[in-house]
Amino acid sequence: MPDSPMPDNPMPDNPMPETPFFEVVVVGAGPAGSCAATVLARRGVSVLLIERGPFPGSKNMYGGVVYPRILDSLHPEWWEEMPIQRWVTRRSTMVLTENQAVTIDFRSQNWGVPPYNGATAYRPDMDHWLASKAEAAGARLLTSTTVTGLITDARGQVCGVRTDRPDGDVACRMVIACDGVNSFVAKEAGLYPDLNPANFTLGVKETLGLSRSVIEERFAVRDREGVDIEILGGTQGVNGGGFIYTNLDTLAVGVVLKLPALAAQKTRPEEIIAHLKSHPGIAPLVEGGEILEYSAHLIPEAGRSMMPQLTGEGLLVAGDAAAMCLAAGIWLEGVNFAMASGMAAAETAAEAITAGDVSKRGLAGYEKRLNSSFVLADHDKLSRIPGLVLSDRVQHQYPQMIANVVERVFRVDNPQPKPGLRKIFAEERKRAGVRLRDLARDGWTGMRGFG
Amino acid sequence: MIRILVCQKWVAPEGDSRGASHSPADRAALELALHIRDRAEDQTEVIVVSLGGPGALHGLRDSLARGADRALWISGPTDLRSDAVAAAIHSAVSTHLVEIGVPDWVICGDYSADRGSGSVPAFLAAFWDAEQALGLVQVTEHSASSLGAVRRLDGGRRELLSVSSPAVLSVEGSVATLRRATLARELAAATMEISEATAPLGPRETPVEVTAYRPRARMLAAPAGQTALERVRSITDTATAAAHGETVALTPDEAAERILTALRDWGYL
Ligand SMILES: Cc1cc2nc3c(=O)[nH]c(=O)nc-3n(C[C@H](O)[C@H](O)[C@H](O)COP(=O)(O)OP(=O)(O)OC[C@H]3O[C@@H](n4cnc5c(N)ncnc54)[C@H](O)[C@@H]3O)c2cc1C
Repeated sequence: MPDSPMPDNPMPDNPMPETPFFEVVVVGAGPAGSCAATVLARRGVSVLLIERGPFPGSKNMYGGVVYPRILDSLHPEWWEEMPIQRWVTRRSTMVLTENQAVTIDFRSQNWGVPPYNGATAYRPDMDHWLASKAEAAGARLLTSTTVTGLITDARGQVCGVRTDRPDGDVACRMVIACDGVNSFVAKEAGLYPDLNPANFTLGVKETLGLSRSVIEERFAVRDREGVDIEILGGTQGVNGGGFIYTNLDTLAVGVVLKLPALAAQKTRPEEIIAHLKSHPGIAPLVEGGEILEYSAHLIPEAGRSMMPQLTGEGLLVAGDAAAMCLAAGIWLEGVNFAMASGMAAAETAAEAITAGDVSKRGLAGYEKRLNSSFVLADHDKLSRIPGLVLSDRVQHQYPQMIANVVERVFRVDNPQPKPGLRKIFAEERKRAGVRLRDLARDGWTGMRGFG
Repeated sequence: MIRILVCQKWVAPEGDSRGASHSPADRAALELALHIRDRAEDQTEVIVVSLGGPGALHGLRDSLARGADRALWISGPTDLRSDAVAAAIHSAVSTHLVEIGVPDWVICGDYSADRGSGSVPAFLAAFWDAEQALGLVQVTEHSASSLGAVRRLDGGRRELLSVSSPAVLSVEGSVATLRRATLARELAAATMEISEATAPLGPRETPVEVTAYRPRARMLAAPAGQTALERVRSITDTATAAAHGETVALTPDEAAERILTALRDWGYL
């Protein structure tokens, strides 16, 4: 049985002598878990990475764009090996009304060469690759195994996990929970005070098969270049947004929907995707695509305000399990936040094990690490943005106002002379029922967040 | 010592190791073997054998984790013809596991995950000159040296068999549900020893080309009629076919009789 007690370690060895023992158990082989296990294994800590799926990534879904620069230190030149689909060289933001679309489109060839920026990748490929790196570093990966509970000692310190296998207990010094959104482990440890459905969105996605040449023609890209389109509106009145990402020979088309709004509206998410796909601005892009896959998953959307306690007695929480996904309108980034928090948790755990103190106090360095990295810095800076983006005004009033303004600016109403921009804006603002005071307040919130 | 040999094929769909598996039938074969071992009074050993590329090692480790005692990997191509597969298994077991002699039981899945011919077990029985009971859907009662089984026959019929060792069995997936590995065993299996042999080069399976079903063309006289509509009518017989229909109130027995009479009158029976 793998058991490599570290030299001069003041902590007792296996507290449950009959059960397999690892110094750290990482629950969940998503991006957070695999990066955590890699760091620990490289530090010489014996680590067991437990995944419920038959292989890492088999149970996971996301939109499709990953920003892997955080891997520069862990896997230098990751771009040589990582199984990516396309490098994102075009980013568009679309605002949709029922029959209008305003698009801001940006393209940079700088993003198509190392060290790149964003990439589209399939989760079964990417997660599998990340986990194989952890295994290569010496971590033990145990698949098809679900963690069903935490084992604590008399002092309430986590000292093992229970799994769904026969004789499935594993003893350990500490656990890192990377089990994704709605973390069962963090909840069982009492780290989430309450769970409010309003803090979650439901992400649903269709993977549409189209030939490579059709995708490249429709999206105006070549070779491995790809496109990321984020969409505001087009969700049949349910607060949320949409996205389209290009893979080599498939498109990812999806919507992200605020849970209470979806429940109140009583519309099926697949109907909302179908509606989005039939929008005149979207239909020509997706036409003829064969639905290869349909998937759905929760997103912890409320950022900082919903994060649990990140540290327990013998326990750290990372990635979506700690609600670290950044869902701030034009940014939907979770994988990079998961990888970074997993790595920070592992570094803290390795230090705590060497120091012989895996108590909550001994693990306090984790939050400090996150505070000094982009993970909590970005969340703090953008803490008001998720609320703003999902607010009724941004969702239901501004898109119509913006689209009407643009329509009138470009409309030639001869023999009428061209109206001034200020006049158009004032009229359209009134028509959309937007109060100046609210507009100024939202503008200020946006400036403070994005600025 | 009773020895049960379980033959399994590890199949990776389109060469992707992530979706690789044993067929449900191969899994049932292992469970039946483990079940016989666990209930046997005499000392009993389950040995798993797999022929294929290095991927087969994953399958063998999986079977060791679930409780097999030993494993033998026969390295060789996965597309050998069934007789060559059986010859390779027979020769590898005879030379690498000499102590076994003729195994008491050889248990195989009825089909592999890539849907082979299902004829390997019959060839194995021939090589070992053992009894064979193939295509079993149920194993009723067993001891270490004999068992009762149900075999599926054509036309939905069943055959009850009583088989005694040495024998080769092939089982369908319905025979047993494979147990899960305990956590400790799953971890330990990663470093368990697996014996290795090499398959001699043998004839390969000739790939069968599967195409869409196309009935042969038949010569038919052109339909009569002046207009297209008339010709369609004459082909489909819609206008001339008499509508069969009447409403009657009868007891169930009379109704059944009436339906049969009507079908007979209309020429269906
Ligand atoms: C629709 C949608 C679109 C998204 N789009 C993007 C995007 O484009 N870019 C981006 O960066 N992020 C995106 N995200 C967010 C991103 O997917 C997550 O933030 C990220 O996957 C979090 O990684 P993680 O490792 O924390 O958790 P996960 O990826 O959820 O991994 C958790 C792992 O734990 C395993 N697990 C769970 N419970 C147990 C248990 N009890 N025992 C054992 N194993 C367990 C799971 O099987 C899984 O493998 C999107 C999310 C959704 C839903």
